[in-house]
Amino acid sequence: MKDKENFSSSKRFSPAGFVIGDYIGGIFTGVLVAWAVRLVVSPGVDMVLAMILGMAVGMLLHLGIGFFLAPLLGMFQTMVPGSMIGMYGGMLFAMRDSMGAGSRSLHEALFVGALFGALVVAGFHIYDRVLQGEKENGDG
Amino acid sequence: MDSRPQARQVREKWDLASRFFDWITWADDQRFAPFKYRLFQKVRGKTLLVGAGTGKDFRFLPRDGEIVAIDISPKMLERAALKAQCFPGTIELKEADVCALDFPDESFDTVLSVCTFCSVPDPLQGMREIYRVLRPDGKFYLFEHVRSRIGPLGILLDLLTPLSRRFGPDLNRDTVSAVRNSGFRISREENIYLDIVKWIEAVKR
Repeated sequence: MKDKENFSSSKRFSPAGFVIGDYIGGIFTGVLVAWAVRLVVSPGVDMVLAMILGMAVGMLLHLGIGFFLAPLLGMFQTMVPGSMIGMYGGMLFAMRDSMGAGSRSLHEALFVGALFGALVVAGFHIYDRVLQGEKENGDG
Repeated sequence: MDSRPQARQVREKWDLASRFFDWITWADDQRFAPFKYRLFQKVRGKTLLVGAGTGKDFRFLPRDGEIVAIDISPKMLERAALKAQCFPGTIELKEADVCALDFPDESFDTVLSVCTFCSVPDPLQGMREIYRVLRPDGKFYLFEHVRSRIGPLGILLDLLTPLSRRFGPDLNRDTVSAVRNSGFRISREENIYLDIVKWIEAVKR
């Protein structure tokens, strides 16, 4: 009987905890992608090649990170921002590194990665809020 | 199209996934719970729950519900049986393929599908079966993830689908169109996460 009374009142994790988790996940992914790209792309590497390489490295890393984060943060909430950070972040970081532009030290590159990760997560949170307000009335 | 060999593959995939399904979907369960609590209360009368899974969604259903819950995976249903025991209303569990339902015509007032049509091999056939077993003016509710209509996100889901399909669902299904093409009138759509996770309300014409 007690089980039946408690059936719909199981303990739930705070939504704020997930939001903080999303940002930590995004920052972590951004930092890791920036670090990996810095390892494989040196100044002077052909920019197009560097961008493709950066995108591939970012995608692979985000899949690996997503495997661990998805059960904690949610499949889509991990995969969607993570893949954007991996794909586009990897490409952009590689472009900057191949030109020798922007971040001179590794620390600066990692900071840019963290900032990019946080911005992407913030962007998706805002976009999600906007889209959640949209309710279509269907076929009439 | 004969969906039986594909149905066997789907059954084997979800039998395997049943071992870690509750663990891997813990966060989804928590994050989508407020939406499910609100939306699943719309379920009325004799209801067919398509995709019972491990029974995680039973707690969102109306307590006075008369529910028949089906799943293609017997291993999933074994776990669902434990949760069904705690449900205050009536839940009958049944192993079934949504593409070949053995219920009589017009035998349900409502059908609720939760994250199912992402892995049904022939979604149109499945929805036609649902159309058949629903009474006229019966409601078909779907809580499903679909392909995003936002350009880069849609492409991303297309790219990831060959990988995700090996272990679980397709990520790029156009479920809204499939509902329409199977004869239903869509009365309402609501975005749950971006335009990827959706609540769809349809009516049998």
